[in-house]
Amino acid sequence: MSHTVLVCDDAIFMRTMISDILAQAGFEVVGEAETGSQAVEKYRQLKPDLVTMDIVMPDMGGIDAVREIVKHDPDAKILMCSAMGQQALVVEAIQAGAKDFVVKPFQPSRVLEAVQRVLG
Amino acid sequence: MDLSQYAELFLAESREHLSACNQLLLEWERSPANLAPVGGLFRAVHTVKGMAATMGYARVTELAHRAENLLDLLRRGGRPATDEVLQLLFRARDALEQAVELSVVGREDEIDVAEVVADLDGAAAQLGRGGEGGGGIGARTTPVPAPAPAVETPATAGRLVQVTLRAEAPLKGGRALLAIKKAQAVGPVRAVTPPESAFEADEFDGRFSFRIGGGAGVAEIERAVRAAGDVEHVTVGGEERRAAPGAGGPSAAPETKSRHIRVDLGRLDSLMDLIGELVTVRGRLNDLAAYARDPAIDDVAIQVSRLSRELQAEIIQARMTPVWQVFDRFPRLVRDLARELGKQVAFRVEGKEIELDRAILDELGDPLLHLLRNAVDHGVEPLAERRRRGKKPEAEIVLAAVRERASVAISVSDDGRGIDRKKILERAKRDGVVDPHAEALTDDQLLRVLARPGFSTAEAVTSVSGRGVGIDVAVTRIRALGGSIDIRSEEGKGTTFVMRLPVTLAIVRALIAGVGAERYALPLTYVAETVEFGVQATTIVEGREAIVLRDRVVPLVHLRRLLGVSGDAPTRCPIIVLEMGERTSGIVVDGMLGQQEIVVKGFDAPHGTLPVFSGATIMGDGVPALILDAGGLL
Repeated sequence: MSHTVLVCDDAIFMRTMISDILAQAGFEVVGEAETGSQAVEKYRQLKPDLVTMDIVMPDMGGIDAVREIVKHDPDAKILMCSAMGQQALVVEAIQAGAKDFVVKPFQPSRVLEAVQRVLG
Repeated sequence: MDLSQYAELFLAESREHLSACNQLLLEWERSPANLAPVGGLFRAVHTVKGMAATMGYARVTELAHRAENLLDLLRRGGRPATDEVLQLLFRARDALEQAVELSVVGREDEIDVAEVVADLDGAAAQLGRGGEGGGGIGARTTPVPAPAPAVETPATAGRLVQVTLRAEAPLKGGRALLAIKKAQAVGPVRAVTPPESAFEADEFDGRFSFRIGGGAGVAEIERAVRAAGDVEHVTVGGEERRAAPGAGGPSAAPETKSRHIRVDLGRLDSLMDLIGELVTVRGRLNDLAAYARDPAIDDVAIQVSRLSRELQAEIIQARMTPVWQVFDRFPRLVRDLARELGKQVAFRVEGKEIELDRAILDELGDPLLHLLRNAVDHGVEPLAERRRRGKKPEAEIVLAAVRERASVAISVSDDGRGIDRKKILERAKRDGVVDPHAEALTDDQLLRVLARPGFSTAEAVTSVSGRGVGIDVAVTRIRALGGSIDIRSEEGKGTTFVMRLPVTLAIVRALIAGVGAERYALPLTYVAETVEFGVQATTIVEGREAIVLRDRVVPLVHLRRLLGVSGDAPTRCPIIVLEMGERTSGIVVDGMLGQQEIVVKGFDAPHGTLPVFSGATIMGDGVPALILDAGGLL
């Protein structure tokens, strides 16, 4: 059975690209979220094996979303999607409970490596 | 991977974000002390940056990054925006838009962002010096790494682990923290050097060490650290190992899943054409079925009708586009123009979500541009004049879309000086457009005068009445789309232009009327009702034959006479009552042949043709019929 993924990013472009990368590698993208609060809600509904989480999103940011998700599920496997220059935010996200991160611009191989590490 | 497949999505989404930036900047400019728009601006620019970096558009990325820097400082600073900063941000947004557009078409090397980038950096440096809020992204103040804890842990308390991350690894601090977290899973970690706080700094070079307790073996510790990824070297307890090559590439899966596809507009157009032909053939099939009186054929005809109707509805729906896609660029335009002219204008947009066929919407940009430009330039009075008239200094211009039956009304109103009818009347008399003894111009006559090609460019008119520039263009364009345009103007109070447009162009329901031996189609969009001539009493109003319908005077147009058809009309014949805004007209035809869907085909009217046809269609029997233009008949 393939792993299920929830993709969280406020840009359709990014969601599409991440979904494509993951789908091509055999993952099943079961949901998408555009905001942090949507991500928290969908995580509860869908219980995905993996979450990819953008850091900067409207409404509730990615880091707060990580905190919320981890509060309810300490084993949640969350992969942060960050940009260059977001070192401090990435560190904060990991402290909040994110399991790994990838840096834009995404290279499919690096995304998949990170995913493999997270899913261990 | 092939990025070109994402270019269109990138473009579409970037445009959306940049359009949002315009709205947010305008909002900010209106109340510079309100910092609410800054967060949205920051996120929009940040998103564009991320997307551009992924597409490999270096210049867009750079520009967005610098703008993001400045926005971040502003966001943290919490101070009202100065006009200088706002103008710079407007400029940066425009430059970003241009850079995005050029990048997508492969002309990235033509982008010159040096000047804007320098100005953005200059503004950021100035804000940074202000001290408030600290550094922006990439300029974060580096915490001074505290010296390693002085407490010397005995070697026996744990193995010393030294780690070097790959030089090319991005965000090494995050990676180092991950490595430490992984190590913590196999034993207690102490004496992290440099301390974890240094991981947040961009200057962190990817070398760190720590001591790990517990009974874990060398191999186990190393495996744990390497699991963090991007690890070049790990030395555990003095023993060095080279990093194994990274995990393999993507495991190829043949199946591609995608929930959205993007379709070329041209393809939707040709789909629409095909459906149009199908509708024509369907009409024929229905005629044949009626003729054959065979229940089996009837049955098939009914099914084909139903299916093609559904198909048609789906395709029309797929072509529907909310008007904001065109409207959203206007707030900025109005603002720029008002600024240039030294006027204060509050611009409001209503009914953004109303949908129109893409083909119609695409044609609306120019006419609206003309009307808005006129409103700001000529409609709205200069400040001094407004004050003299006792009006509030800030003028109001409203662009609104409203759905009305089968059409959409789009209006542009201003609360400016209105049109000087006297001046227009003089001019109209001189040009022979109206009766030389006329004393006033009705709204309809006013529009007719303004819409005369060439009238607009007449200097006397633009400088005195201020109206006319481009109105002829707007009127022609709207008519060509099967729509109409009305004007209401009151001196001293303002002017409103209302355009009425069919929701979709390609296939419309129409009344088929017979006149002489010909059939004519009249789109139902503007048909209010039909009554019978010869039963209704006629009267003469203002020299025109008319009927009175529920206290309303409806002037009549005899199509037979208008088209020059010889012979006598039947004594009793139908009147089709058209209604377009406040204008009505009764069209007298020989007979009604029913209602049906017609496919509108473009129609190049030969010179000299009466301006009452908007197109042609092919009837079910394959014979063409002309489509009557309600706007022209009214």
